[in-house]
Amino acid sequence: MIKHKLSYRKQKIFSGVAVFVFFLLILALRAFSTDYIETVDDPAFEKRIRPAVVFYHDDHNDRAGIDDCSVCHHVYENGIKTADMSVGMACSDCHMSGPAAAPDLIRVYHLQCRGCHLSEQAGPVTCGGCHKK
Amino acid sequence: MMHELYGFLRGPMLWVALLVFFGGSGYRVAAMWRLARKKDAVIFNYSSGYYALRSIFHWLLPFGSRNMRNHPVMTVVAFVFHICLFLVPLFLSAHIILIKESWNVSWPWLPDHAADAMTWMVVAGCGFFAARRIIQPDVRYLTSTSDYLILAAIAVPFVSGTWAFHQWPAFPAATLVHMASAEILLMIIPFTRLSHMLFFPFTRGYMGSEFGAVRKARDW
Repeated sequence: MIKHKLSYRKQKIFSGVAVFVFFLLILALRAFSTDYIETVDDPAFEKRIRPAVVFYHDDHNDRAGIDDCSVCHHVYENGIKTADMSVGMACSDCHMSGPAAAPDLIRVYHLQCRGCHLSEQAGPVTCGGCHKK
Repeated sequence: MMHELYGFLRGPMLWVALLVFFGGSGYRVAAMWRLARKKDAVIFNYSSGYYALRSIFHWLLPFGSRNMRNHPVMTVVAFVFHICLFLVPLFLSAHIILIKESWNVSWPWLPDHAADAMTWMVVAGCGFFAARRIIQPDVRYLTSTSDYLILAAIAVPFVSGTWAFHQWPAFPAATLVHMASAEILLMIIPFTRLSHMLFFPFTRGYMGSEFGAVRKARDW
């Protein structure tokens, strides 16, 4: 007897729903996970003059071979880089001296990103290379 | 390749361009001054700051001279062209950010859409001047190939700049073309007809002095 077995139609619906829920879960996990970063979208910039930089944090560091967080999340003391790291701090905490100091923050972002891309001869260096429309 | 070229154009080549522009400008003005002392020494007898500035002022004022009033279209195009030509490079957000990165100084910038519109006015101005050289017989008579090349030398950095800004196809290459062509433009200013940028106050001041101090007449 195949009385308790689900009909073919119901089987299809169930598997469809299961696949849908599975992808929803993955999306939810990605959205809520803190270390899955896709853009440099610093809230310290009140007014944007360029699109936020597309930046896949983990992919970038895998490809660039960066394991040490302090390479980017640095701490300087008296002008000398320490081994400490500033993970969890906003860049603007140190790099924005006043409310009208957006150029200060833009400057250090550019020096950090493009500076490294130039010295490593890898990664975008032109304006549109990072600020993609 | 991209990184080497970018580094070269942003680094050593920029210094070369600035050096040739400022050094060449100083040299041209000094050489012209010496030549005037030798061949036209008499003008130093009646050169007058007052009459010179009076003439310069009237020729810097839109429609401030009779010649400009007689050619209203040329006057409007020429003023819009020159104003945009200077304002866009000096007050473009992207340029100010680059200067901020290098020397940690900055100043207010133009909204990007305004700078873009002004860029196209410069390009349109180049087109207008080229057409004028072709169509108007008296101007065509005075035109040589270099005059068209000069117009192209101005148009290329502006077109490639806005190309990079809009991120049209192959925009990274356009960025490099922009940097290289702008450096070439800077370097040819002292040594081509573009040197009117340097000599304008002197030629105008000379005319103003002669008309004011000697002929007792206006020259505008």
